[in-house]
Amino acid sequence: MIKLLARLLRVLNSETEPGQLSLGLCFAMIVGLTPLLSLHNLFVLLLVFILRVNLSAFLLGLALFTGMAYLLEPLFHLLGLTVLTAPSLEGFWTSLYQSVWWRLEHFNNSIVMGSLVFSVSMFVPVLLLSNILIRRYRQHVLVWVQKTRIMQMFKASKLYQTYETFSSWRPG
Amino acid sequence: MTKWIRWWGLGVFVVFAGIFGCVWIFLVDGWVKNLIEGAGTKAVGAQVELDAADLSLFPAGLSLTRLQVTNPRKPMTNAVEVANVTMGLDGLNLLRRKVIVEEMALEGVRLGTLRTTSGAVKLTPDVPSEAEPGMFSLALPALEVPDVKNILEKENLETIRLIEALKGDVEREKEAWEARLKELPGKAQLAEYKERVKSLKKAAKGGLEGVLGGVGEGQALKQDIEQEIESLIGAKKEFEEKLALLRTRFDQVKTAPQRDIQHLKAKYNLSPKGLAHVSQTLLGPQIGSWVHQGAAWYERAKPFLEGGLAGGGEDGPQVSKPLRGKGVDVHFQEVHPLPDFLIRLTKVSISLGAGDLAGTIHNITTDQPTLGQPITLAFSGDRLKGVQSVSLEGMLNHVVPADSKDHLIVQAKGYELDNLVLSKDDKWPVTLASGVSDVNLNADLKEQGLTVHGIGNFHSLQFSAGKDGDTNPLTKSLSSAVVGVSEFSVQANVTGTLEQQEVTVSSDLDGILQDAAGKMVNELAAKFGTELQSAISAKIAEPMQQLQNNLVGFEEIAGQITERVTQHDAVLKSLLEKSLPIKGLKDLPGGLKLPF
Repeated sequence: MIKLLARLLRVLNSETEPGQLSLGLCFAMIVGLTPLLSLHNLFVLLLVFILRVNLSAFLLGLALFTGMAYLLEPLFHLLGLTVLTAPSLEGFWTSLYQSVWWRLEHFNNSIVMGSLVFSVSMFVPVLLLSNILIRRYRQHVLVWVQKTRIMQMFKASKLYQTYETFSSWRPG
Repeated sequence: MTKWIRWWGLGVFVVFAGIFGCVWIFLVDGWVKNLIEGAGTKAVGAQVELDAADLSLFPAGLSLTRLQVTNPRKPMTNAVEVANVTMGLDGLNLLRRKVIVEEMALEGVRLGTLRTTSGAVKLTPDVPSEAEPGMFSLALPALEVPDVKNILEKENLETIRLIEALKGDVEREKEAWEARLKELPGKAQLAEYKERVKSLKKAAKGGLEGVLGGVGEGQALKQDIEQEIESLIGAKKEFEEKLALLRTRFDQVKTAPQRDIQHLKAKYNLSPKGLAHVSQTLLGPQIGSWVHQGAAWYERAKPFLEGGLAGGGEDGPQVSKPLRGKGVDVHFQEVHPLPDFLIRLTKVSISLGAGDLAGTIHNITTDQPTLGQPITLAFSGDRLKGVQSVSLEGMLNHVVPADSKDHLIVQAKGYELDNLVLSKDDKWPVTLASGVSDVNLNADLKEQGLTVHGIGNFHSLQFSAGKDGDTNPLTKSLSSAVVGVSEFSVQANVTGTLEQQEVTVSSDLDGILQDAAGKMVNELAAKFGTELQSAISAKIAEPMQQLQNNLVGFEEIAGQITERVTQHDAVLKSLLEKSLPIKGLKDLPGGLKLPF
């Protein structure tokens, strides 16, 4: 637990670009919120590995969003069903339904469709928002936090020593 | 650009994908095995087991080794056991989540094999088997005249019941009418009327004033007498109706002994009618049992024949029933719709004790409406041991589930019969020592309506019937008739529904047996009838006499009423004939009548 917390702090405070952290979180949002064994997740994983996305942020985000997915399932079901049964989109879905790959994607499932629509539509807002938040944290909160008495005490603790150990590792 | 790309990540991805693929290939056979066993067990209601499953990807195919399907009614027996199942899968459609098999081969199919362990899903003992052929007891007519005295002592005769009931009713009616007689006009009223007539006569002699006063009194007297006569006539009519009803019941009592005799003759089996339905008694329950078994298997298969719509219809997307945590699948119309599961051709080779039966089944699917074609099957076997040829053709048409039509034709030629026990009755055992039969069976199921018509022609027959040293003339006569039979035919018809059927079986054997025993049984029945007639007549003589006396006593009431009517009539007549003031005033104005 201490190691995990240390890793989180290290990720937040490392020299990696805020964009790389945010992108990791956003990719995690897609994989975490949508059913894991979906064809689109294979593509997302490929992007996670190829792009210089922060893997720790991705893994932490994955744990976070997978938990959230269970809570949001009723919403995804309703959203997916609404999208799939919208009369204006019926022709479009029918054409996709003829394709083997789209059938393999299981796009016609209400939860797959609902969670995918939700996570993709939230991708850019979450990316921008997390970018801003990370920058502000580093500019304002981090400096202030390091000066506090509690932080001074914390730096003397075992947890911080573990964090320091992780900090000596080079980010991916 | 390179700031955002890490090429070694691609390698990691490939390695991960490779490891995942290897694990999947390693585990998929077990997964398929468990899937088939689980789905099969759920469908059959008893264990479905596989020794092994082997899924190949290039080309896509599946082979199963030793598939065992437990008979749910007999958990220690397999309904079907298949040594090998091989099938080629349509890989492209498999990616679309559709299992399409172009051709499947089932080799080494055996029926009714024994299991080493119970295949029951829940702990249930083997259901006792239906009555085996030969377990039936023939309803033979009685072979001697029963003791009439004993019978009458324990039997509740309808005649006696009717007599007692009628006697009670006659007594009640008699009491009621005697009470009513007291209320009806009688001697007291007659005396009063005579007094009033005398008064009128005096008034007539009292001059014009007396005459005028007597006119009104005369009219009133006449009306009173007429009213009472009417009430007496009404009572008499009512009484006569009641009496007629009691007499009708009395006539029914007179014919009741004949009904008692018929009832007792039938009860003590002194009628050759039982022999007219020997084939029904022998074969009816067995045929009913076969139909029940077939119906039970059909009911299990029916949900799969009429599976839900897989593709979107013309009315727009179809939404499947939601599953918790799984969402729902919305189906859209397909350009080339296919069911989720389809085996276009199945080649089956069934190993029977008598040899092999080979056949094909086309279009096995859970979704006939989407495929638009019914399941058809055809099996045949030639030169089997003990059978010249067997063929089976059928069609299960559920393309329109609301208008399903299933059809099955079975033909067997030259089926050799050997030591078939037809009756284990102690009095008259019958065994078909040898023979040959040709059987044709047509079964139709249209929606819920079941119709089965079967014909069996038996020839080259050799029977053994009766016991050695049998002295009973009836069974001896029957045995002689049966042993002489070399051929006969049986017609069986089953109508009704899958839940409830009526089986009727007829055979020319019925007529042969009835002819052989009919005369003898009729003579016994006539003797029994005569004895019963005498005994019943003696038993009912006294009650009948009592009843008759009661009726006569009751009829006397009619005489009393008639007498009262006559007496009232006489008073009225004397009133009219003796020139009393009611006469002669008809010409006066205002309806007044003068006495001259």
